Amino acid sequence: MLTATAIRKSYAGVRALKGVSFDLAPGEVHALVGENGAGKSTLIKIITGAVRADDGALEVDDEAVDLARLTPARARELGIAVIYQQPALFPDLTVSENIALTLEHGGAWRRIDWRARTDRARDLLARAGAAFDPDRLAGSLSMPEQQIVEIARAIGAGARVILMDEPTASLTDREVDRLFDVVRTLRETGTGIIYISHRLDEVFTLADRVTILRDGETVMTAPRGAVTRDEVVRHMAGRELATVFPKRAVTPGAVALDVRGLTSTTAGVFDVSFTVRRGEILGLAGLVGSGRTELAELIFGLRRPDRGQILIDGQPVTIDRPADAIAAGLAYVPEDRRRHGVVLEMPIAANTSLANLAAVSRHGLVQASRERALAERFRQDLQIKASSVVANAGTLSGGNQQKVALARWLATAPAILILDEPTQGVDVGAKAEIHGVMQAMVERGMAVIMISSELPEILGMSDRIAVMREGTICAIVDRADATPERILALALARPAAEATA
Amino acid sequence: MIVVARHRAELSIALAIAGLGLVLAIRAPGFFVAGNLLDVLLATLPVLIAAIGATLVILAGEIDISVGSIFAVCSVTAGVLAVAGVPLPLVVLIAPLVGALLGAINGALVAWLSLPSIVVTLATMVAWRDALRWITQGAWVQGLPAGFQWLGLSQASYPVAALIVTAGLALAILRGLTQVPAGRAIYATGSNAEAARLAGIDTRRVRFWTFAAAGALAGLAALLNAARFSQIPPNTGLGLEMQVIAAVVVGGAAITGGRGSLAGTILGVVLLGMLGPALTFLGVSASWERAFQGAIILVAVGVDALRARRVTTMVPRREPARV
Amino acid sequence: MSRKTELVLAAVLLAEIAIFAGTTDYFLTIGNLFEIGRFTTALGLLALAMTPVIVTGGIDLSVGAMMGLAAVSLGILHQDWHWPMPVAIAGALGVGAIGGGLNGACVSRFGLPPLIVTLGSLALFRGVAEGLTGGTASYSNFPAAFHAIGQGYLGGIVPAQLPLLAAAAIATYVLLQRSTIGRAWYAIGFGDAGARYAGLPVTRRLTQVYVISGLAAALAAVVYVAHIGQARSDAGNGYELNAITAVVLGGASVTGGRGTVAGTLLGLFILAVLQNGLQLAALPSELVGVLTGVVLVGAIALDRLRSSRPPSLPASSQPVASQPSQELSMKNTQVAAICIAILAGAMVVAGTNAWLFRALTRNSAPAVAGAADPSPTGRRLVIAMMPKAKGDPYFVSCRLGAEEAARELGVDLIWDGPTGLDAARQNELVESWITRRVDAIAVSVENRASISTALRKARARGIKVITWDADAEPDARDYFVNQATPEGIGTTLVDEAARLMDATGDFAIVTGALAAPNQNAWIAVIRERLASTYPHMRLVTIQPSDDDRDKAFAEAQTIMRVYPDVKLIMAISAPAVPGAAEAVRQANRRDVRVMGLSLPNMNKPYVHDDIVQTVVLWNTTNLGYLTVRAAALAANGTLSPGATSLDGGRLGAIEVRGEEVLLGTPLVMTKENIDGFDF
Repeated sequence: MLTATAIRKSYAGVRALKGVSFDLAPGEVHALVGENGAGKSTLIKIITGAVRADDGALEVDDEAVDLARLTPARARELGIAVIYQQPALFPDLTVSENIALTLEHGGAWRRIDWRARTDRARDLLARAGAAFDPDRLAGSLSMPEQQIVEIARAIGAGARVILMDEPTASLTDREVDRLFDVVRTLRETGTGIIYISHRLDEVFTLADRVTILRDGETVMTAPRGAVTRDEVVRHMAGRELATVFPKRAVTPGAVALDVRGLTSTTAGVFDVSFTVRRGEILGLAGLVGSGRTELAELIFGLRRPDRGQILIDGQPVTIDRPADAIAAGLAYVPEDRRRHGVVLEMPIAANTSLANLAAVSRHGLVQASRERALAERFRQDLQIKASSVVANAGTLSGGNQQKVALARWLATAPAILILDEPTQGVDVGAKAEIHGVMQAMVERGMAVIMISSELPEILGMSDRIAVMREGTICAIVDRADATPERILALALARPAAEATA
Repeated sequence: MIVVARHRAELSIALAIAGLGLVLAIRAPGFFVAGNLLDVLLATLPVLIAAIGATLVILAGEIDISVGSIFAVCSVTAGVLAVAGVPLPLVVLIAPLVGALLGAINGALVAWLSLPSIVVTLATMVAWRDALRWITQGAWVQGLPAGFQWLGLSQASYPVAALIVTAGLALAILRGLTQVPAGRAIYATGSNAEAARLAGIDTRRVRFWTFAAAGALAGLAALLNAARFSQIPPNTGLGLEMQVIAAVVVGGAAITGGRGSLAGTILGVVLLGMLGPALTFLGVSASWERAFQGAIILVAVGVDALRARRVTTMVPRREPARV
Repeated sequence: MSRKTELVLAAVLLAEIAIFAGTTDYFLTIGNLFEIGRFTTALGLLALAMTPVIVTGGIDLSVGAMMGLAAVSLGILHQDWHWPMPVAIAGALGVGAIGGGLNGACVSRFGLPPLIVTLGSLALFRGVAEGLTGGTASYSNFPAAFHAIGQGYLGGIVPAQLPLLAAAAIATYVLLQRSTIGRAWYAIGFGDAGARYAGLPVTRRLTQVYVISGLAAALAAVVYVAHIGQARSDAGNGYELNAITAVVLGGASVTGGRGTVAGTLLGLFILAVLQNGLQLAALPSELVGVLTGVVLVGAIALDRLRSSRPPSLPASSQPVASQPSQELSMKNTQVAAICIAILAGAMVVAGTNAWLFRALTRNSAPAVAGAADPSPTGRRLVIAMMPKAKGDPYFVSCRLGAEEAARELGVDLIWDGPTGLDAARQNELVESWITRRVDAIAVSVENRASISTALRKARARGIKVITWDADAEPDARDYFVNQATPEGIGTTLVDEAARLMDATGDFAIVTGALAAPNQNAWIAVIRERLASTYPHMRLVTIQPSDDDRDKAFAEAQTIMRVYPDVKLIMAISAPAVPGAAEAVRQANRRDVRVMGLSLPNMNKPYVHDDIVQTVVLWNTTNLGYLTVRAAALAANGTLSPGATSLDGGRLGAIEVRGEEVLLGTPLVMTKENIDGFDF
């Protein structure tokens, strides 16, 4: 029902797509995988009319579409809908209006029927498996709820082609299940779904066919049964990858961080206590919304706790702001790389020194040569692929941006490093490199706390795993005792698993 | 409850107006003489009309500080045309048109060249004002035809007509903003321009037309103001932009766009408009009037921010908040 | 940062300098260039401090108002509280820091939008300044050593405040572009969340930019007061927009993250040179605004075209807005072409304007050979004449007479002045006329203390100096064309009022701007005479009209309601009389009489309708006429010290008493005689 042939696109001379071909059958879930920078996002933008292709052909229902004239509005008329990872909603408008704005057609001056809008929104939300009030402002919704609004929009549009760009990146497992149910329902009604994800598990659960993109080209398309996971990874990366994590046992040292009874009602964290030793990676597992990021932000001084105590190397410390945390030897690489992790418009060098300006300055003045030297060192250590350290961080790929974020905090020479989703949205190669860096750090005696939603990563890298549920740590499991089922069960608190825990 | 919560900004200004009214009722009941209210109202109408235009622009996430200059250009143009013998109905038509044209220049620069509106309108504000000074050399437009004052009506009937026109206009724009997709497109553009574009809204057209509309409304405001007098000074409308923006913000609109209401703007204009006469009635020295204005603006944004803080916003803004 | 923006700006500045150097002989002199620096200092301080504010993604609209508040504070501390000058200066700076801190706290702690916060504090600061002075008080008599900061020269040539500007520029540069603090400001400008996650003290850094901005405004106020010699609540009115214009022209992005000190300085001097060059070329100062608008939009459009090219790597995995990049990917050559086109456009505008202007002056003076090419033998006299405010109808009518005299005498007349009351601009114009070497300067003085230094300098260069309408220090001018003293006007006004209300009952005054010195002098005389002569007349209220007819109208309406017993409204600003008259007419209050100081033409309808009883004024056309005659006669030596009369042309012989040329007594215009005057 949708066929794209030899799509090409260049940005200012850089070829993003070098001739991508792709097709989708009715009632099919077609997964599109590839490392970051492989051209998936560009392809989506072209199909949805957000960006114009330089060359190529697109057919929808056997009718040629003029790619040069494709606009978002035209794409919608063709029945193409897209669900982005971060939903593009209007925070100041109600849910029903958010849905209506994309669905309603007709004159700009006709009368709006608000009651019909609300009824329709309620109906569509129900079909997407949710039941919140359509009169709520979109700005007051949680991220998964916002995504459901997007799906309701697509359902309402009667879309026959739905593109999903990393739809599960910020969903809890239960919500993922519900999303999959919705996807399966859509498939049964003959809708074609283009599904983009870094999570190969999901791809193999859901997809009928898989297309792999690499460097702006189609590498292969194959039915799910005809290809193995390893093959997919190999084709994505273009090389064999060690599927094992670079985990080597390190003898843990003294307790570096001791958190006792940390509580903040506004952050939704209640009575959290745990310790991390030097040379140890503590994995922090749990569903999205279980309070993991909030806990990290409490420890790092980005939020204020109501009560509780933090001890570093056995000494109680007061952390009111991030500067206190940095002084105490803490470092926190945040989850949202583009907004919090790096400053995209600043050079790599300035990004690297930003958390530790004192190290590259004298009398309060930044010394450019020392700053460049610092950044250069980390560029080599972390294998950041960049033309120069004066290049803006925004010009780098996601994985390399993440390495810059990491470099910023390693530059503070922390004793305790908190990593929040360190490999989310990062391509396979960079992921392995980041894991390598983590291992190297614990071998040097650093204590690491790793927040991750990816179970294999948690299981593969952690010495101990703390599972959070509803704002508190419900269990801490040793590496030897950890199985995916057990961690998941703890996080979900299924009654059967609770008994064994 | 939801209705109350959503209109809390409007309610708190209404309360402020009621409070000021109460003080006046006790200390200076003379304020509420029909004649005085009519005077205050007539003086406020032009500001109100210009503020409606500013509301549109601010809702779309932009700002227009050139309204005062557009106001002056339109006043003088209307006067000069009337003196030159152009029939009155035509003058009434041309003044808003000239405003729309000047607004459209702002709009084109903002929408199609993607320039920051504060810079564009700063430039046009200075340019139009000085161009007008240059051309008129400060001379007043005098010798207006007899019918110009009150636009062919009488002193008694004009306020009624002006009120009806303004009320009709406000009502039409209120409905346009709340009941018609074109109006919702303004909110959508101001709330999240990228999402609006993805939803098939031509955000450039929206921006362009809000500026053009703001210009047309400034032109209409200029006409209604000029019609109250028999001569037109060219230095009129100085500082109007600040008055108007202050009123919109006091009315609870977010300067970043997407949030605000026409009702709030109207209440904001009323509050700031009655402040000056009210202070005189209460015997407060005129030299403190501006300090009171500033305090009201700061309190209004402060209260608004505290309220916004309680509603946690989880949607990341896609664009950096504009100043 | 973008070096390229700065190169383009430097090219624009050089082009300006080249054009002005080519068109006027006086532009490219060391003295003139230094004078540009002097007049730019106060604005420069604001613009420099505004740069970090805009870099953090903020804006500070309150700096102009803060100048007013700091100036008033300085006056109060020094003269009411008798603090020594240095301590008073420190106190004024403290006020600036506190005001900036208020802005900073609102923006950083409470997360309020800076545009709105500073819009509010603009009104608040100006309002407090007006409130503290009652709008009327002003402070002069500062010690001479203090004036040296604003009026003196280092080594006889470098204006004293120039090193201050240079030091401020260097300090801002180091702080913004070299220090760790500045690095934080840039990071905050790109996104304050990112800066907070990097452990930067965002709240403190943000507060700092506003405190620095407030401090700089207070410092600018100190320099300004030292220059002008007088502290008033309206100091710095409108400066905020000029400062923002300079910063934005300098390539700073109002969305934050971009902006440099070098860019700001370039932007500042592009504006300053434009203004100075146009003055020297005797082009009207309104052109500055028009050209500023064009240059501003041109520069930023250019910048946008260039910077909106997409990044070289498609790095984003998210649907980031790519809106402008699609249509606006341009090559450098295209950018250059557009740059040239805009520049050419601006120059064509300037050129046609210049041509138009010359054509106009030629019309008004038929025998002109062109002012720009003075032939060495028998060259025409050039007389430069300055009103307090160009657009004011009062001065517009003076100009008519001035042009009439210029035609009769065959002299070239340059007529220019501030567009609103602005003492600093007056000084600036006098300096540029000195540079231009006119033969005589005639000034209606806005501020006695400040302009006298410049006028003395003019005299020292052999230029004849006449003051008219309002006088400077006696040693700073050759002659004063005295139309009427404050005593004369005040007394005439109050006597006329007494006549109209039988010397009993209530009356109200509608004045101009609260801080207007002329009106305040008249009011002082009126109060004295009321106390001494008319014990049964009561002045119930004084309301400001800001020289705005519409506001005078509204104030008069309110006065009639609040003070129903008022028998008479005395309006003492030209636009206020018709404003008050219209209010009386619409209220149909035939029992309220209106009189005041205004021009005949705008009041004729009301005088004939018996609403305005009396308009007091001298003959303004004659004032302009006589001023030009006196200036011309002084310049060609006909009028020399010791003369007791001069040839007043159509006015006949005019009495000269000492150094004062006397126009005669104030005119009292009533229904009977008003039709005899046309101005």
